[in-house]
Amino acid sequence: MAIRLIAKGAEAEVYRTRIFDIDAILKDRKPKAYRIRELDENIRAARTKSEAKTTYIADSIGVRVPNVLLVKRYQLYTTYIEGTRMSSLMQQGKSIGNRLMSKVGKYLGMLHNAGIAHGDFTPANILIDAKGEPWVIDFGLSSISDSIEEKAFDLLLMKRSIDCKSYAYFVESYSSKASASKAILARLSEIEKRGRYNERA
Amino acid sequence: MAVIGIESSAHTLGIGIIENGKILANVKRMYPISDKGMIPMRVADFHVKGVKKLLLEAFATAGIGIDNIEAIGYTMGPGIGPCLSVGNITAKTLASKYRLKIYPVNHAVAHIEIAKHLNKFSDPLALYVSGGNSQILGITDEPFKHYRVYGETFDIGVGNMLDNFARAAGLKPAWGSSVAKLAIGGRYVPMPYTVKGMDFAFTGLQTKAIGMLKGNSASDVAFSLQETAFSMLCEATERALALLGKRSLLVCGGVAQSQRLKEMLRSVADSHGAKFGFAPDQYNADNGAMIALVAEKMFRSGKRSCSIEACGVRQDYRADAVEITW
Ligand SMILES: Nc1ncnc2c1ncn2[C@@H]1O[C@H](COP(=O)(O)OP(=O)(O)OP(=O)(O)O)[C@@H](O)[C@H]1O
Ligand SMILES: Nc1ncnc2c1ncn2[C@@H]1O[C@H](COP(=O)(O)OP(=O)(O)O)[C@@H](O)[C@H]1O
Ligand SMILES: [Mg+2]
Ligand SMILES: [Mg+2]
Repeated sequence: MAIRLIAKGAEAEVYRTRIFDIDAILKDRKPKAYRIRELDENIRAARTKSEAKTTYIADSIGVRVPNVLLVKRYQLYTTYIEGTRMSSLMQQGKSIGNRLMSKVGKYLGMLHNAGIAHGDFTPANILIDAKGEPWVIDFGLSSISDSIEEKAFDLLLMKRSIDCKSYAYFVESYSSKASASKAILARLSEIEKRGRYNERA
Repeated sequence: MAVIGIESSAHTLGIGIIENGKILANVKRMYPISDKGMIPMRVADFHVKGVKKLLLEAFATAGIGIDNIEAIGYTMGPGIGPCLSVGNITAKTLASKYRLKIYPVNHAVAHIEIAKHLNKFSDPLALYVSGGNSQILGITDEPFKHYRVYGETFDIGVGNMLDNFARAAGLKPAWGSSVAKLAIGGRYVPMPYTVKGMDFAFTGLQTKAIGMLKGNSASDVAFSLQETAFSMLCEATERALALLGKRSLLVCGGVAQSQRLKEMLRSVADSHGAKFGFAPDQYNADNGAMIALVAEKMFRSGKRSCSIEACGVRQDYRADAVEITW
């Protein structure tokens, strides 16, 4: 089985591989030497499990995400998505279309309606395929909860990484989709007012 | 010609003298911490009473006099209003009496700059961890040269979290190090772990740990609290390091005195092939040398000195609001 490292993040190594004869991604959560073994194992196992679970739920409610193929204790296999990270496109100075931002907003609304907070909702975790369709990846920090705050953080993370115009399209579409958008947006402004964000350059 | 710096943002009054990056003096006087917390006016009063003697001590240590000083820096913020005012007023008095250039300095930037200076790093990623603050910062040129905050605590600083726990556990100050002592020999019990990208939160962990003091060995709780909190900081720091590709990592601020935290961060840096650095403890605790260092950098980079009337304090002065002119 050919296997090739394609990304090495803070948390996991991501490989392109084949499994069940499918073009696949293996996300392998390697031990971290800095933390004690028990904590290390708990974190790696919990994240692998919750990533599999929320990716699966996201798929079932119609959000474009990779398919879960196989779950092991610290390893997750999903289908490979041919695409480019939204963050890379932004770095190359390419403009992100309004339709695309609206779609991303709609997907976040759908996730929140299903009780999922993504936990790391940034342009680095949105892949854009050849047709210009967005895919949401990396549910490793996600949670299933009714916490308004966790959901407001998803908005905050995206807001901090994109320009105002893109955010306007994103949040408009999000608001028309997410049933609790009023409360979540109110919490977002409250978080921003807590002082740590309002002076951020 | 040398530059003098006065730090008075919290319970430490510190005075430092620097000449061309060389530290000639770093003297301090600390308000004795009690478990009742501190009353700002009392601390400010303590600083007022000690400032003259400490100034003389600084000059004696440096072996120079006020005639050899060309600029003065003071901590503008962040910090406690009445305490900050003592340094501010002292600096203004000296500046007008001896015609010195005067520079308001950001406390967080000063903590980073002194560690950067002593390690000779050019463009590090910095983890600033103190009582009231916990932030991950790095210099960026957009839209002006400044320390951008890539990640930070959503609620309280990791130092204050350790202090609150220590008080609840009936430990004695200095709290950070007494938690570390209690943790020796402890075993791991699971605790809440909150990292969001490069940000993190500590109140959930604090509440849980204090609650767990009932029914668990205090040593196990202290050990697990420390391991969990420091692992959170390391994870967020590692994410920033991976994202930004910086070649060096430094830790600074009061909690950087922790051996365990330094050991963990060194491991993070090693695994990314980055250099790791920190300053000796006297510069991680609040000190005047770091204020003098930054004032000297401001002065030598040609930054206009502040007019005496315009020099004030700002309790919530953020690191990312400071333009880096050097
Ligand atoms: N050996 C140690 N291990 C861990 N923490 C420590 C150690 N020594 C001191 N600390 C912690 O460092 C903190 C004090 O740091 P410092 O004096 O820089 O902060 P501060 O002045 O209270 O806050 P700020 O710098 O945000 O204004 C305290 O919370 C203390 O518990
Ligand atoms: N299913 C996938 N298809 C294609 N590329 C992927 C897929 N999953 C992850 N990647 C690539 O690997 C990178 C890291 O994966 P991610 O799940 O975001 O891990 P991390 O938690 O380390 O950020 C992504 O930014 C993306 O470029
Ligand atoms: Mg990712
Ligand atoms: Mg400090």
